[in-house]
Amino acid sequence: MSITEPTNVGLNQGTHQKLKRLKEDGHFGEMVDAYRCAIALALAYGVVPDDNITSRSNIFNVGTVDPDKEIYTAIKAIIPKGDIAVYKMAERLAEWGVNELSDKAKSGFLDFASLINDAESQLSS
Amino acid sequence: MRIKSLTMNNFMPYKGVHTLSFPEHPNRNVMLVMGDNMRGKTSFLNAIRWAFYGRALGRHLREIPTHQLHNTEAGQEGDWMFEVHIQFESEKHTYDLRRRASKKNMVAIPNSPEDFDVVIGLQKDSMAIRADQIDFEINKIAPEQVSRFFLFDGELLQEYENLLIEGSEQGKKIKKAVEQVLGVPALIYGRDELSTIFKKAQKQQAKDLSQVKGLERQAEQQAHYQEKQLILSGDIERIGAKLKETEKERLELDDKLDGLESIHEAKAHLDMLQKRQKSILTEQEGKQHLRLEAASDVWRDLLSVKLSIKRSQLQARQKQLAEKTEQKTVFETKIKQLEKLLNTSECPTCHQEIGENLREEAGRELGELQGKIRTFEIDHKESMEIAAELAHISAIRSTGAGKRIESIDADLRRLDVELTQVENDAEKKRKEIKGYDTADIARMRALRDTLLKEESTLQKDIDDTQAKIDDITRQLEVLAKLLQDDPAARASKSTAKVRVALELQELFKQSIERLRGDLKGRVEKLATEAFLHLTTQKSYHKLEINDNYGLQIIDDTSQRVEVRSAGAEQIVALSLIDGLSRTGRAAGPVIMDTPFGRLDLKHRENILKYLPNTASQFILLVHDGEIRKETDLEPLYDKIGLEYEILEVSPRHSKFERV
Repeated sequence: MSITEPTNVGLNQGTHQKLKRLKEDGHFGEMVDAYRCAIALALAYGVVPDDNITSRSNIFNVGTVDPDKEIYTAIKAIIPKGDIAVYKMAERLAEWGVNELSDKAKSGFLDFASLINDAESQLSS
Repeated sequence: MRIKSLTMNNFMPYKGVHTLSFPEHPNRNVMLVMGDNMRGKTSFLNAIRWAFYGRALGRHLREIPTHQLHNTEAGQEGDWMFEVHIQFESEKHTYDLRRRASKKNMVAIPNSPEDFDVVIGLQKDSMAIRADQIDFEINKIAPEQVSRFFLFDGELLQEYENLLIEGSEQGKKIKKAVEQVLGVPALIYGRDELSTIFKKAQKQQAKDLSQVKGLERQAEQQAHYQEKQLILSGDIERIGAKLKETEKERLELDDKLDGLESIHEAKAHLDMLQKRQKSILTEQEGKQHLRLEAASDVWRDLLSVKLSIKRSQLQARQKQLAEKTEQKTVFETKIKQLEKLLNTSECPTCHQEIGENLREEAGRELGELQGKIRTFEIDHKESMEIAAELAHISAIRSTGAGKRIESIDADLRRLDVELTQVENDAEKKRKEIKGYDTADIARMRALRDTLLKEESTLQKDIDDTQAKIDDITRQLEVLAKLLQDDPAARASKSTAKVRVALELQELFKQSIERLRGDLKGRVEKLATEAFLHLTTQKSYHKLEINDNYGLQIIDDTSQRVEVRSAGAEQIVALSLIDGLSRTGRAAGPVIMDTPFGRLDLKHRENILKYLPNTASQFILLVHDGEIRKETDLEPLYDKIGLEYEILEVSPRHSKFERV
């Protein structure tokens, strides 16, 4: 049975607000940059995301988030094949990632260098 | 001349009566007066100046009005009299000079010079001198015009350093002052008087000759020149008055601005800080922009970390598959060779027939290889999929966004610290200038600059007009000489008068030049003498004087020394002042107020060694910051006759203490 990829991706409504704040507080230039970063963060940290997102709403067209299908490739490469569409998985990863970024930005400063360093040290451990 | 004692009563900060003895021993003729700034060193100098000449000088040589010479605290206590009393001797006569100012009876609180009556008394050998003779008597002993050279302050030194700048405006003014001191004006006035007589005579001559047939044209020309000369003289007078007025206005502004200099500096600093604040904010904005750009690539950095493992796994698998394929190829080749050997029973290398034993062995080997190759399953699809996946993954590469952001964050932190510092400093400066109208200070500064330019334009106008007058004067002199040769003109009485006036005028002109030359020679000699004692540079040979009394250093190869340090300029100026002082009067006391500004220790030492020998008394007014009493004054130790310290009783009351 083939899996149909969604054409839109989104977030829980509360997480969507956090995504907006990440842009408004000047941590990202565009919301889509934060969304991509959130997916990558979850992947880098080896997160196994929750199955369902409650009160979900569409935010982006898949083509906007991943015009060259790089995220698609990365997810497929990193996460073992399952019965879920790749972009559905991306959405779940983003849900976790946006919450994490929002937590880390609470002090007013989002330390990207530490995020990357942490991801590297997780790999080596 | 030698001062024996000075008594001040309620003069400036010296409330009540203060008497100071002066050193009288010829070999211990130095008097040292130490005092912090604002304690009254310059007031001490002014007390002597006021007693002798009835004037005290403030900044820019501005006269301090009489009512401001009175001690404020004494006034508050109802004591409205102040006095300076000096006892001195000169050429074996003793003098007793007393100048006293008292509030007029009708005045309640004096607030102008007119509110005081000033009286002066001078006794010579205990005999009172007639009031109208006092100034004459004083000027005979210590001419007022020379007083600035023996009642000497740092400002004078600064002024005389300007003399050394060839062609400076101030240099020209000082030249006039110097000539005044050296007595040249007596001849200049004589020449000017004769010039007036000459002009009058020529006017009369023009009138007379207009009646003589054949000379009407010359008479008319003469009248024309005279009229032009009159107009131009009027112009000079008018421009000169305007120049004086402009100068006065500018000096007043200078005084006001001097007091506001620190506010102006604070405002300029604040402007600079605000500019820096703006530029930091712009820089921060730029960095923030770069940070956002880099943030949009962070996801690649994060993924590339994780994907690097996947990439390694895929590459390892790819390598494994490649090795397997290679192995299979090797086996296939070997099988083909063995099959051929068994079919032909011939060695593939030497083409000789092989034995049965070898064939059997080859057959066994072939069987084993055929068995092995059966297990070789090469999955080409997997290879292709791995290659494709690797290509996709390799496209997701780190852009170094993390490192870029790290460096930007470091810059932003540095800028944040600097911004806080700048904001704190700006706040301090704002407090400093609070209550001052900085716009008005800026206005005054701009106006001062405009007035300065105007002064220079007016001075140029005067010089140009004077050049025209000089030209006309020459024309008139030529005309006068021509008329002298004309028999008809010679017969007139006015022509004879013109001739006498012209000849006398010429005589005075030559005398002025001769006197100037003599005086300059003497000043040059005395200044060189002083300079060679004061300078620390052995290769300096002499000083050479120029037309404006400026001095050039000449070295031992007879070359001019073009570049001089600030210290050298001060030494040259000091030498000039000493030369002028000794040219203008007989030896007398020298009182120096804060003279050591930019001089190094060796130069100070030279001054301290030299000056006590050229003056009858050497009174040195210094503060701690200028000189270290214990070490710097060593050359003077055996010459110090008396030493005083000025102490503060209150901000408006100082007193002397003998050390």
